[in-house]
Formats: sequence, structure tokens, C-alpha cells
Amino acid sequence: MGTNDPQQQSMIREAMKSIAERRPGRTKLVYDKTKRTIVAVAEGAAIPTALNITAEDADMFAVLSLSAKWIRAHWKDLSAAGGMKLELVTWDEGDAYTHQELGVHPTGQRTQAVASVAGKGEEHCPTPIGVSFRQLESPASLRDCEFEGPDGVRYLAQAWKSNADAKEPMDVEVVEVVSALDARRKGLIENNVLSQSSVLCIGLGTGGAYIATELAKCGVGRFVLVDHDRLSAGNVVRHPGGLSEIGRLKVNVIRDLLLEKNPDVHVTRHPISVGPESESAIRELIQATDVVVCGTDNRLSKLLINKLCLEANTVALYGGAFRRAYGGQVLRVRPHVSPCHQCFISAMPEEAGDVEIGSQASADEIAYSDRPVPVEPGLSLDVLPIANMVAKLVLLELLKDKESTLNVLQRDFEAPWYLWLNRPEAGTKYSDWPPLSESMDEMTINRWYGIHFERDSGCPACGDFTTASAVAYGIDPSTLADIPSAPSPI
Amino acid sequence: MWTAKQLERLRLESAILIQAGLTQFSINHDASRNSYYASGYATSSSGKRYFLYIPVPNGFPNERPPMYLTDPHPLLMRDGTRISSLGVSHIMHTLDPYPNGMIQLCHWRQNKWHAKIYLYQVLLKGLLWIEAYEQHLETGRPLADFVLTMSEA
Repeated sequence: MGTNDPQQQSMIREAMKSIAERRPGRTKLVYDKTKRTIVAVAEGAAIPTALNITAEDADMFAVLSLSAKWIRAHWKDLSAAGGMKLELVTWDEGDAYTHQELGVHPTGQRTQAVASVAGKGEEHCPTPIGVSFRQLESPASLRDCEFEGPDGVRYLAQAWKSNADAKEPMDVEVVEVVSALDARRKGLIENNVLSQSSVLCIGLGTGGAYIATELAKCGVGRFVLVDHDRLSAGNVVRHPGGLSEIGRLKVNVIRDLLLEKNPDVHVTRHPISVGPESESAIRELIQATDVVVCGTDNRLSKLLINKLCLEANTVALYGGAFRRAYGGQVLRVRPHVSPCHQCFISAMPEEAGDVEIGSQASADEIAYSDRPVPVEPGLSLDVLPIANMVAKLVLLELLKDKESTLNVLQRDFEAPWYLWLNRPEAGTKYSDWPPLSESMDEMTINRWYGIHFERDSGCPACGDFTTASAVAYGIDPSTLADIPSAPSPI
Repeated sequence: MWTAKQLERLRLESAILIQAGLTQFSINHDASRNSYYASGYATSSSGKRYFLYIPVPNGFPNERPPMYLTDPHPLLMRDGTRISSLGVSHIMHTLDPYPNGMIQLCHWRQNKWHAKIYLYQVLLKGLLWIEAYEQHLETGRPLADFVLTMSEA
């Protein structure tokens, strides 16, 4: 259905060039319904069987996004003769150019542009891309391509890409990142209300990484990340880190992700494992934080974090998936007010011991050489509801003494322990739960249940263990003898 | 290094050993290493003696204490091979041996251990392991046939 008519080809070329340069042309493009192809016609000509094609239909301009914060900071240099170079990341074969200052993500090709004020760098632009800020004659409301300079004057940002024939215009957006992010949270979480709130995230597997990222999106401003592990290929099927980041420390992967979501977050990283050897370091981190999120997958680290959070009087949340993520649980510990993690183990040993075997280290903890335990993680989509619940409970803890619409939820989340099931797994006590679609009153999958249980007054972590044990074994605690000295036989 | 809370716990553990009648075992302080351990000779129902040794880890009671059987050494299976050669073994309920080859008995794994488990309960599991070991010697059947996999208390 094509045409070899040279005049028609020439008209199509001219029309397309006009559209690309966003200028009026002598010909226009239409879709000829009879020929079922695009044809060029003289401006003003009417074809009854044609569909008009507008510049919007052919909107194939590359988009250049610039950081308003960076431009303000470098305004003096931009205003000097010759302008100033800036670094861009190019995406999708030149479809988008993103100012490197907007984010931290290392992927994408790099290129440079020269930006200048009032065309001072335009004449002999040494880079294929140029940006110019021109003073607006009659500024109205600020559009995406406009920018208010530090001098209080409004400027129109224009950009172009040079090729062999001509300068091709580009769409420009001057991005005010912080206000753009705040605008989407307004009414629920007011600007800056969480900017000084701190969360210590220990364990940055799928759940921990997701929790940290969600909290950054909510405006939490300070993060302390703890994980000794590196991103492996097997992690990528669930973890927000991607294949291009294999081998990086998870604390670095998540630091970058948080900055990508909220450039104002303050992140400190500690690539250490949690155990008795790191107790004093973890203690210091817990003492300096508002809420702790425990996303580790072993018992010892949870007990240690429990002990240190009780000491520091810091709220802690423990989230975890059951095996193969058939469900999961969230425990919130408000020190000396609600049951602690040790109380939970004593009260619900089965639930406390039902953990996902998500890594070789977890499998090795319970395997024997003659009875191996396979690594059997659950699906990411089954882990995320649990992580989401942890993030929500952290948010409510941080907002508790602040003004927020979300505080209406405080009454709904008073229980210390929350249960969620993704499926009625065979071999568990939940296997005979009724189908979701048939039950209104009975417990079913895909619903959260807040469950109350009492603190253990004889808890070794948060109760009076000595007195309780002494009573249980008929011992007078005031007569406990010192431990005698004797050299170890080994 | 040792907190007041840990020391109080060890004094309590010591008193419970006495109260529970496990007086063949005691908890002691090795001043030269500033370390604590529980140890003593267990006597099986057949009258044989086995020495159990539990070094108390720095993270106790949150950290699981290992339990070693140090005498007789080496401890042999019915077929004459060293139990320590099995390493972490389900059929004989052993974990990584001590560097010198003394066997580590499996009681609670770290993923099931918690701070409310007393040392006397660990030693009781040691006594049960010894009885099961002697049944293995008698019958040749795996030790695991005579004890359940240790579950959470």
C-alpha cells in the first residue's frame, strides 16, 4: 500500500520534519482510510476519508529531566559565559535524558550537556545536547518546563539535540523533587513530619528491603541499614535489587534504592552480621533510633535484638514468612508494655518456630549431613503482604505522637501479634480453613488477624525470671551461691 | 564481659541443678579464661560413666550452649568407627565435633533455642542421649531410633 511517488515522499518528509521541529509546515499528514496508509496533503486541503494527524500523535521528542535543586545551586556558573556542563543518563536509545543529579542509580549510558542562562552557552555548544534558560516575558502559573531562578525571575527551559542536519527540540521538565513527592503524601502524611524519624532495618532480604523502601516513600527521613550479605542471582527473583547489582552489599543496594525514592533521606550502612560479637555495635544503633525492624531469619539474632530493644526501650517489629511463605506473622514489641519476642516464643512456640527456609544459612541451621534441608523460599508476592503490614505498623509507631490522618488506625492495630495466611497449607493447622469466598465469620486466607496474648511475668528477657524460677523450683533467691572456681577440664 | 544478669542466671542454674537432683553436674568459673562451664560425669542405667562438658557461650542465655561428650574419647559406634567422623549427623544426633574430635551432642538447635531453656534441661537431654547410645551399641540400630528429634520446649 506504499507509494513511490517522489513528490508524495518529499511532502511526507517535509511534514514529518515540521512536526519534529514543532513548526507549522506547508503540508500536513493524514491517515487515508481508503488507502490505509499515511499520506501528505497540502495545508488546507480536505480529504473526506482521512484522519488528521497532529503533532501530539507524532510526539516522539526526547524528554530531558533536570534537577531544579542542582540548577539553583549552580545558577551562578550557569549564568557565566559558556554555561556549565551537566551529566545526563540516556535511556531507551535517546528517548529520555535524566539529569544524573536526580538519582543515584548506576545503570544507563552517560552523556553530557551544556546548560546556560540567556543563551550564553548556545553559540558554541561543545556537547550534542544544550539547555538554555530564557527569561519569561509574562509568567503565569509555573509549568514543568519553567523554573524560578534564585534571582526570583521565571525562566523557560529549552533544550535541543544536535544532529548532522539540524537542532532537534527536546521536551524539558525541571523537576522539583521534594515538593513533587510531598504533594502525593499531603493530607495523609504532612510534609516533613517524618523527616527526622529514624528506622533501624536489620536484615535486608526481600521483606526488609521492601519495608525500608515503603517507609522512604512515606517520607521517613533517617535509615540505618544492617546486613552483612551480598545480593546473589538467586535473590533477584524476590529482592528489589536487580541482576545488574549482583555481588553488591545489600546495604548499598538498598541505600541507592532509598535515595532513588527520596533523595533527602539520610542513610548509614553497617555491613555486619548480628550476633554476640556485634552486640555492642548493634546496641549503639538501637539506642539512637526510633523504631527497629527485625528482618533477620535466625533465632539468635532475634533474641539478641529483643534484649537490646528492651534495654533501650525501643519499639521493635519482627516480621517473617512461614515456610514457603504459606503465610506469615508480625510481632510488635512495645518494651515492658506488650509481650516481647521471648514471651512470644514461650506462648506460641509452634508459630515462633515456623520460619521460611529462604537461604542456605537458614537451611544449614536445621540440617544434618545425613538429612539435608533444601532451601525453599516462598514467592515474593506472598512475602510482600507481611512486609507491607510491618511497614504500616512502623509508620503508625512513628506517627503516634504526631498529627496525621492515619492515626485513626491506631485503634485498629492494638494487638501485639498479627497472622496472615496466603494459602491453607496441607499439614498445618490451617489446612481446613474454609474457602475465602464462602466464609464471612470464620478465619480464612488473605485476611489479617490481630491476636492478643499476655506478657510472661517470668520471662527471662522482660520479666522477673529469677523469682519465677525460684518459686517453680522451690529455691530462695536470696540464697543463691556464687559460682565456684575450677579450671576447665578442656 | 559477663553481665550481672548473666551471673545471676548462672547462680540460679547452679541452684536448680542441686534442687533437681543433678548433683553429679556443677557449674564452675575458669578464672584464667574468665569463662563458665557446666560439667560432670553422667552414669548410665548400665553403670557406665560419661563426662559431659558445656562451655557457657558469651551470648548465654540467648545463645545456645554446646554440649560435648569428652570421655570416653574417642567414642565409637557399634561397628567401631568414630562417631565424630559423622560430623553433623541425624542418625546419631550429633553436631560439629570439638576440634580435638570430642563429639557434640544435639540438644536444641540454635533455631529452636531460647532463653527460657535451663541448663539442667540440656543435661537431661545429654543423659537421654547416653541411654540411646547404649541402645545403639546393644542393637546396632541408629541412635535416632531411640530418641525423638529434639523439639521446642
